[in-house]
Amino acid sequence: MTATETKTGAATPGTKVMTLLEAITDAMRTEMRNDDRVCVFGEDVGKKGGVFGATMGLQDEFGEKRCFDTPLSECGIIGAGIGMAVYGMRPIAEIQFLDFIYPAFDQIVSEAAKMRYRSGGEYTCPMVIRSPYGGGIRGGHYHSQSSEAYFCHTPGLKVVIPSTPADAKGLLIASIRDEDPVMFLEPKRIYRHGKGEVPTGEHVVPLGKARVAREGSDVTVLCYGSMVPMCEQAADEAMQLGNRSVEVIDLRTLVPLDEQTVLASVKKTGRCVIVYEAPKTCGYGAELAALIAEKCIEYLEGPVVRVAGFDTPFPYTLEPLYMPDVKRVVAGIEKTFVW
Amino acid sequence: MDRKATLKREDGLWMLRRMRLIRQTSERIARLYPTNVMETPVHLCIGQEAVSVGLCRHLRDADKMFLGHRTHGPALAKGLPLPKLMAELYGRTTGCSHAFGGSMHLIDLEHGLPGSSAIIGGSIALGCGAALAAQLGKNDYVGVSYFGDAATNAGVFYESMNFAALRKLPVLFLCEDNGYSNVMPKSAHSAHDIVSVARQFMTTLQADGTDVLSVYEHTGEAVAQLRRGEGPVFLHCATKRWMKHQGHEACDIVDNGIDRERDCPIRKLEAFLLKSRLITPAELAQIEQAVEAEIDAAIQFAESSPFPDPSLLEVS
Repeated sequence: MTATETKTGAATPGTKVMTLLEAITDAMRTEMRNDDRVCVFGEDVGKKGGVFGATMGLQDEFGEKRCFDTPLSECGIIGAGIGMAVYGMRPIAEIQFLDFIYPAFDQIVSEAAKMRYRSGGEYTCPMVIRSPYGGGIRGGHYHSQSSEAYFCHTPGLKVVIPSTPADAKGLLIASIRDEDPVMFLEPKRIYRHGKGEVPTGEHVVPLGKARVAREGSDVTVLCYGSMVPMCEQAADEAMQLGNRSVEVIDLRTLVPLDEQTVLASVKKTGRCVIVYEAPKTCGYGAELAALIAEKCIEYLEGPVVRVAGFDTPFPYTLEPLYMPDVKRVVAGIEKTFVW
Repeated sequence: MDRKATLKREDGLWMLRRMRLIRQTSERIARLYPTNVMETPVHLCIGQEAVSVGLCRHLRDADKMFLGHRTHGPALAKGLPLPKLMAELYGRTTGCSHAFGGSMHLIDLEHGLPGSSAIIGGSIALGCGAALAAQLGKNDYVGVSYFGDAATNAGVFYESMNFAALRKLPVLFLCEDNGYSNVMPKSAHSAHDIVSVARQFMTTLQADGTDVLSVYEHTGEAVAQLRRGEGPVFLHCATKRWMKHQGHEACDIVDNGIDRERDCPIRKLEAFLLKSRLITPAELAQIEQAVEAEIDAAIQFAESSPFPDPSLLEVS
């Protein structure tokens, strides 16, 4: 249960209770009503409304010109989006699963990410690439991966991952309005995980600002996406089992990173556990660990611990063991005290 | 061609048995799938059996066939033993890919199945590579790139055809065209006519993918050209997908043009074999029952096999 969730399902005025997936649809609908330069396209997004239903109803409301199906051509989808963005549109390109994005990798890394730089700032590439990522739905190798680190490693891209319905809406609207290309990665495992109150109409959550999902004083847990609700459970468990007061920080945007919030928390608690579901080596957590080592090592009272996926292609049968869970996070928390 | 005069009983029976094996296995999977005993998403090929079976009657174990995501039919047609398929779907170590593959990644090196990719178009170029290995190593096997209509939207399709044609590779581009990319009809995903495009690069042939004898006839011609070293062939097989893109439910696309009576490849072959007096009604029933028993045994094998050891994940 996150702070924004409600037990009764009744919404306070000015909000509506919805799932993370519904909040994503709501964000697109809101911006498409606000700004007729915004359009959305990808494989099966039009008539079908997306394989997860994220674009459901958009073609009905905005017509085939603003919400449309494309051939199965990731490279072509992203390339067309770049051209549209450079010439005044606000495209949202959906890649059906993040695992399918690699044919478009060249377009993203070589073209989209470098538009602003190589034009000396003459023009930018204001596009959003939306894609569901991550495990937990028994999807096997090519429907489960967390590839965020590839994109974080590419200067010129922003990388955003929401974990609550309200943030999903606010961050997506901010991403659509951003002047640069944004990778908006959606934690499909929690698409329908729980409902939360989401402001109706205009709602913007600025990029680059982390969220303290839970305050604590003994140890900081850094996480994002589908790991956030799980880490909040782990925080409860660590309190019950070991009386540890855990601060859980939802990064929200990996690039730009809210260094200030991260460092302030680690300085306060002196301990840090980083949780991510991608393979451990060279994952985003490696960057966080390096940042902490560089900027606040003198505050640490124990080793920085990473709880992550394993260095293996996604294992379909062993998925429950691969995914970081409450037990592993609690063990990681305890590890920071054994020093 | 007078099929009656040319089709041998053993070929007809082989194709009927394989199609029944694929059909009845798929139907069993569809029944079991909602019970969550399987560890993997499945893409069934009910209605499409004729394509892989007609093709594989002309292939040898040594020929290498690379697949897409809709794997069960082609893999069984090529010779993958059913217990190994079932165990893989159940996520057991006795599966053909040792529980590391799942439905979309079936491996059987003994029968020339080096695997498949769940990424649409992802394995087309690999078939060319196998053919190049055959050519450079002076081996007499051929490569088969087996893909669907939507894969022709991917750039790698053109790159592969160009490469294969330039190098005169012994590779068959087999397009199992079921008319849909998930729910998108071909008219919505392809501005081009697939065969006309392929014709720019190589010999093209077209078969009725709901009629195993049509596929059998045309693949015979295609594979013969490959074995003669005369360069790649593109074979288009128009077929129909009776199921949804993924999962155990029937295709629910309105006006999908499917008539299960008219379009069933098994009914078509059975009718032909009966009419030609190559088989008796009693034999037909016998085949159906034998396949059911084979499926029961394969499921029992899968259920009694172990899951992978968790220690296979490096514990840190």
